[in-house]
Amino acid sequence: MSAAVPALRRSSLRLDGAAGTLVAFGVLIVLFLLVRAKSSGPLSYFELSFIASGGATLALAAMGQTVVVLSGGFDLSAGAVVSLVNAGLATRMGPDLASQVGWGLGALAIGAAAGGLNGALVAVARLQPIVATLATMFILQGLTLLAMPRPGGAIPPEFVAALTGDAVPDLLPAPVLVIAAAVCAWLLLRRTRVGVGIYAVGSDPAAAYAAGVPSRAALFSAYVVAGLFYGAAGAFVSAQTGSGDPLVGRPLLLQTFTAVVLGGTLLGGGRGGCVGTVAGAYALLLMVNLLLAFNVPAYYSSIVEAAVLVCAVLAGSLGAGSVLQRQLRAATIRLRRSQGMAPTLHRPRSGRSTTALPAEQPSWLKRNRDLLRWNAPAWIALALMLAVTAFTYGSSVSGLDYVNSLLVLGLFLLVLALGQGAAVMTGGLDLSLPWAITAAGVLACSLVQGNDAAGLWAVPLVLLLGTGVGVLNGLGIALLGLPPIVVTLGMNGMLQGAALLWSGGTPAGFASPGMRWFMTGRLLGFAPAAWFALAFIAAATFLLARTVFSRRLLAVGNGALAAWLSAVPVGATLVGAYALSGLCAALAGVLLSGFSGQASLGMGDEYLLPSIAAVVVGGTLITGGRGHYLGMAGGALLLTALSMLLSGSMLPNAVRDILLGLVVLAAVAALRDKRV
Amino acid sequence: MRLRLRHVLSAALSCLALAVSGGAWAQAAPPKKFKIALSMSYIGNDWQAEAANMIKAMAAHPSMANKVDLQVQVAGPDAQRQIQQINAMVQGGADAIVVFPISPTALNQVIRNACKRNVLVIAYDGEVTEPCAYNVSIDQEEAGRVTAEWLVEKLKGRGSVVMLTGVPGTSVDEARTRAAKQVFARYPDIRVVAEAPGMWSQAVARTELSKILATQSWDRIDGLWLQVGCYTANTMQIEAGRKPDQLRPCAGEGSNGGRVQMLAAGTAAAGANSTYAPMAAPRISYASPPYSGALALKIAVRKLEGGEIPQRVTLPLPVVTNETVRLCKEGTWKEMADGCNAFMPSVVTNPGWFASIFSKETPEIGLQAALASQPEP
Repeated sequence: MSAAVPALRRSSLRLDGAAGTLVAFGVLIVLFLLVRAKSSGPLSYFELSFIASGGATLALAAMGQTVVVLSGGFDLSAGAVVSLVNAGLATRMGPDLASQVGWGLGALAIGAAAGGLNGALVAVARLQPIVATLATMFILQGLTLLAMPRPGGAIPPEFVAALTGDAVPDLLPAPVLVIAAAVCAWLLLRRTRVGVGIYAVGSDPAAAYAAGVPSRAALFSAYVVAGLFYGAAGAFVSAQTGSGDPLVGRPLLLQTFTAVVLGGTLLGGGRGGCVGTVAGAYALLLMVNLLLAFNVPAYYSSIVEAAVLVCAVLAGSLGAGSVLQRQLRAATIRLRRSQGMAPTLHRPRSGRSTTALPAEQPSWLKRNRDLLRWNAPAWIALALMLAVTAFTYGSSVSGLDYVNSLLVLGLFLLVLALGQGAAVMTGGLDLSLPWAITAAGVLACSLVQGNDAAGLWAVPLVLLLGTGVGVLNGLGIALLGLPPIVVTLGMNGMLQGAALLWSGGTPAGFASPGMRWFMTGRLLGFAPAAWFALAFIAAATFLLARTVFSRRLLAVGNGALAAWLSAVPVGATLVGAYALSGLCAALAGVLLSGFSGQASLGMGDEYLLPSIAAVVVGGTLITGGRGHYLGMAGGALLLTALSMLLSGSMLPNAVRDILLGLVVLAAVAALRDKRV
Repeated sequence: MRLRLRHVLSAALSCLALAVSGGAWAQAAPPKKFKIALSMSYIGNDWQAEAANMIKAMAAHPSMANKVDLQVQVAGPDAQRQIQQINAMVQGGADAIVVFPISPTALNQVIRNACKRNVLVIAYDGEVTEPCAYNVSIDQEEAGRVTAEWLVEKLKGRGSVVMLTGVPGTSVDEARTRAAKQVFARYPDIRVVAEAPGMWSQAVARTELSKILATQSWDRIDGLWLQVGCYTANTMQIEAGRKPDQLRPCAGEGSNGGRVQMLAAGTAAAGANSTYAPMAAPRISYASPPYSGALALKIAVRKLEGGEIPQRVTLPLPVVTNETVRLCKEGTWKEMADGCNAFMPSVVTNPGWFASIFSKETPEIGLQAALASQPEP
């Protein structure tokens, strides 16, 4: 039995995986031909070797990410591990051969150790992958800054040549060999018990458990294998750059996700593989050459990139069973039905049913056990944080001033957590927040021009546009069936281009006196924004707990098909969730520019990861189906209180990062998922 | 499978239609022009956008327009992409590459390779450590030291100081912060009471200062050393009900908002509003000047024409204090050469805009270059 079930899955897998991989290679080849069409002269060995070496780091790191995604998780620590390995090698590797070989293996060991830490948190302590790896990301970033506070160090030339030079001069660049070795290792691995186990837990944990797959061991090994790949990526980037930079891995994170999705691996686990990911990574890299070859103006580059990404993923999803096809079919059926030509689908109609309540209600505590279990940890951690703050700063802090600052500074996260939370409750994510915030702020300020009267129409207009942006996100997800990460990432790129074009690189205008007063003035002892924060918590809690909309969000997150069969309008719910997120992002942008007095480019960049962290620390399940705004609000205020405590301190940045990671871990330790 | 491939191709064709815009060097360039490529970093911030405007204006100046064929590319915050981009530029036949280096070390291999193929590489603002590259930048350590010394002098060697640094882990931030801390360490009565990463952004400065003020009040802070954020700090003090003559001395960035605040109260500045107005704020204002990229382009052309240029151009640190600040009327290069260094709020509506745009080496570019890529006539 235990052997039969995974074998069955694997055979069906191979087909799915192959289709995704083929699409990825198709995209890669098309991009390559486009670039070639614009360049002069034949393809030289040097060009080939540059491309091979340029994409290798991303390819290796993305392969690691693929393994985690296959197991049903996310790994936010990928870039941080690469940076840590790079810093370690650049500061420690000596000129002699033994040290070079030793540290080459050491890179893999560091990666595996970091992966082991993630694996222990996810498989043994059963924390949600996204928040466990978020915490390790902060901790590893801190360790990296401790090991190497600024760029420097040197990698011996032999090590550089071994990884980035020529394996066979004028015929085979070494990076090709590195990637080939990694792919071989993966292909071997996926035939072993470990590999099959990773696919099994990713596609259906309960079935895997029932079939006797050692789920925990499989999960743990997925993170260790991923760590090994990150270690290899770290070693490669060290060779490629010949030096160390503590920030080198940071921008890799989002790109690894994009490469994984481009490569045909399904987010959520169970389907796909590393071979497609390699093609996806190189396709991403060729985008750089494409932009250069076609001389795309700088302000348009993010728009073109986003368009290519969405097109590529769309191409991959155009198969017979795709959502788009299904939507078209459904539309045809509806059309025919309206003409009386098709049979009616037997699907229950939406309606209210009144069930009589049982005569004896269980106690309040019993009824609200789940509510307490998922929401209380964030608030308890917040209370502890406030106690530590009071203890550290003693009587020098006025309590009222502190609470005012906490609410005003926390307001941005409180607002963003509502939108992000709604998206997460449906099982998605909204990555378009950074530039939705910035674009809203830039647009609002340039329309308001410091004039309160203009604010009366400009602010609602901006909020409306933000909602519209969210609706577009939702339509892309619901109608085209694209992964939320791809749609919202693409939207982020589009909005960045739009903000740059609108402002010409220099945002003009400023917030009106009314907007500034709202954030920094006083009303009955507190800033108006602080009162607004309290009202917002109440309203948002109601919206996400007591309305039909909230129940639909949870239903969709628990399983779109089941929801659809239960008469939940799945598409409309998805569109609603992302529209809410777009509205919240626009509101945060307006509030932030009122707070700063003006809008600046990039002002939304700092809020993406915290918005996700606040939602998850607040007890929301990242795969959807569970969430309550009270918890999210606790998470938002906890993160704000923590950063206020750290800002006023004299701790080095590295230590602050580590503390932040540890606090996030501690806060979610109570949220362990007891189910297997 | 055949079906799928057809879908792939059709989608790819529609992408092709999207991607076609503008021509490549191969078609556009008449034979005589130098192909110069600019690889800039993340375009989504004020400084980068302003520097890019000035570079474009320099390339468009009549003295340059018939010599230079400029291609601008954005690498984002990612050193990996910049490596790939520089490689592609070398492959594309660039004569010179002007680069805002995302990392001082990560580009070394690719720059060495470019040099081997006789491509001139000039880095602006940030430095690269590869010896064959040319560097145009200020001395970051000097910036940290000079501003800290000014603050100590203002405080007469005694008081509590709040520091906002830049982006942790970058060499620019490390050099400035280390130099400033060395100065403060020499004065036992100077106490640094809080320090937070300000990420070189007015918006971040606002949130970080607000966090610090939740546990420290203005009464307990005597001076501020902020890599970016003095404009915001002064604004916050005014909002907190303090009078302009109570403002704390602030050593920090060269934003136009900050420069205007330094002007004597009552100076007529068109377009002044709320705290973006003259108030005699006690300040030293310094900057990594955004003209450095344009200057790098200019000397790249000089070198390509056979001239000699130094391997390292250390720009004079643009320092403005309350004694030297002066409002420009139009912001032409000529006017700035006579000593003005702040601009009317009516012309520069963004107070976070960087005002250190004057160099005596670059008469081709003035205020309109920084604002709208228009060179001086």
